[in-house]
Amino acid sequence: MLWYKAWLETRARFLISLCGMTSLGTWYAYNELHDASKFARAEWYFRVLHTGHTLLATMWVAAVLILMMGGLLRERDLGTAPFTLALPVSRGRLMRTRILVGILESSALAIVPWTALFVTVNRFGSPPVIPQALFHLLLLAGGGVVFFATAFLVSSSVEGEYTAPAVSIGLLFVCVFASDDRAFRDYNPFNFILGTEYLDRASQLLIGPAPWAHVFANILVSALLTALAIQSIQKKDF
Amino acid sequence: MLLKLNPNSGEPLYLQLMQLIRHAAESGVLRDGDQLPSIRALAEELVVSPNTVVKAYTELEHEGLIELRQGAGAFVSLGRRARAVLDHIETAKLRAGEFIFELRAEGLRDDEIRRVFDAALMGAPHEARKR
Amino acid sequence: MTGPAIQTKDLCKSYGRVDAVREMNLSVGAHRITGFLGRNGAGKSTTIKMLLGMIRPTSGEGRVLNCRIGNPSESIHLRRHTAFVAEDKRLYPYMSVAEIIRFTSSFYPDWRTGAQESLLRKFELPPARRVGSLSKGMRTKLALLLALARQPDLLILDEPSEGLDPTGVEQLLEILVAHCSEGTSIFFSSHQIEEVERIADQVCIVEHGRVLLDASMDDIRQYSRQIELGFPFDAAGLNFDFAGVRRVRTAGRQMTLLTSGNADEIIDRARGYGASSIETSPLRLRQLFLSMVQENSDALV
Repeated sequence: MLWYKAWLETRARFLISLCGMTSLGTWYAYNELHDASKFARAEWYFRVLHTGHTLLATMWVAAVLILMMGGLLRERDLGTAPFTLALPVSRGRLMRTRILVGILESSALAIVPWTALFVTVNRFGSPPVIPQALFHLLLLAGGGVVFFATAFLVSSSVEGEYTAPAVSIGLLFVCVFASDDRAFRDYNPFNFILGTEYLDRASQLLIGPAPWAHVFANILVSALLTALAIQSIQKKDF
Repeated sequence: MLLKLNPNSGEPLYLQLMQLIRHAAESGVLRDGDQLPSIRALAEELVVSPNTVVKAYTELEHEGLIELRQGAGAFVSLGRRARAVLDHIETAKLRAGEFIFELRAEGLRDDEIRRVFDAALMGAPHEARKR
Repeated sequence: MTGPAIQTKDLCKSYGRVDAVREMNLSVGAHRITGFLGRNGAGKSTTIKMLLGMIRPTSGEGRVLNCRIGNPSESIHLRRHTAFVAEDKRLYPYMSVAEIIRFTSSFYPDWRTGAQESLLRKFELPPARRVGSLSKGMRTKLALLLALARQPDLLILDEPSEGLDPTGVEQLLEILVAHCSEGTSIFFSSHQIEEVERIADQVCIVEHGRVLLDASMDDIRQYSRQIELGFPFDAAGLNFDFAGVRRVRTAGRQMTLLTSGNADEIIDRARGYGASSIETSPLRLRQLFLSMVQENSDALV
């Protein structure tokens, strides 16, 4: 029943984000395109797609950062840590459950609003959207994994019910504001998600071979951050 | 069975409990063959550790006052020796009662009389004083 | 189960330069009720948390139900057979009473649904109410239910009666006694010394992270005494340094001693000094405890 507990703990945040993102993304696309038959240029559709992606991506990262707050440190502040730690389960299992529920929820937060966005764009007569859709989702997953792991690390090492989310959101702000910085640009996971590097301004399409190497590097970084988080909790006194 | 233990007295609870059961047997409240409450029931009623009840019952069994039957419980079983001891105690109580009557007539209060007995018990030699 | 329910060897915990627990050597007997007394900050909760794997000891070892507390898989095994009520009885506010019961019971094969139902009734807990909206007293009762609706090998309770009214306390003591009758070993810390005095078989007093006294209640009742002496002269300076003497107070010709043993020797010596009046009375656990921890706080540690 640890899954149920993790679900209850994140349910409100998850549902609010899901509804908010899906409706905002759909509303944006609808707003831009509902009388688009007058401007039947391909790049118009793709611009809406890409901008919609940017909107959703920003919301997604913020949502995931908040969603991954919690865990044993937060329970320590709430006073329930002794109860949870007295259960005959390892700390590792508690953390794995939280991670897996977080992955499922983050995936749902990616798939549902994006599908709604793509379907809306497609509905107003755009050219085939699926390859671009998949490219966008790959960028989201490939960059998002770093934010996911960062949030997990912050929740496992920063104490304070409000300090931890503040630090997480703060990191997002750093990424957003540093998106133009030349030195950081290649490594900034937020930039990666936005796909500015792959965007062709004329056609508003993401082009180029899928950046699997970069995705793989991000996954390695995320694994490292996650391992640090797990170590942090294993060593703590409650 | 109504029993009350005194946490105030300087006596282990199991000894107090034994005394209460002995008293009940002496005064006829408990008769030969009567079943005593189960360990759990008596512990819950008195709100004491069941180990106290176990110790009391075990010691009383050694004294021959009760019998612990496997699976059935604890039963009063006045063996001949136990009956003799009980009779002796009854007669001793009567003698003590007469002495207490005298002390009261001399003007001592009950709590003073109790102090007399406590002090005498602590100081009393185990051999008779040579008169 | 053979062997003690809990046993520690030189268990230590330091936070920087502060020693919370120092060479704690505990031995809690199986199938018995052991009381754990100590002032705030004496190291009781820290010790209990080390036993359950929540805090890592600085040094030393311990075994609970014959499982090593420092071994992760053995720690999980011991937790499966131990029921624990923490000092802070907070529970997940977002679950309902029924949900948290279902949640907790899923982890323990020794869960007793019959006991769960009877405790729900006895404690008058509303199953549909959210835990977050329960009063403190009801939260305490719920935390107790989650531990007592089981038949574990060991029950560890940290201040279990805190927040309970007198009826609740009486119910709790009866339930603890019933559990012990079924074979559960009980280890509980409490500030309510009278409760410990009533049901404990064994008492362990700690101060400054160390065990000061580990004795049976039978022995404490039998040998702890308050001795009041009157002398026909000023009693200052008379020597009564026997083992067990916990406190000596002199006021002119009167002297009061609190001792956990050797009362007869003390009385003999008093007679030898020429005492004109000697009065002994039983020493309650509370007085013994206070005399021991206060004496210890004066001494250089």
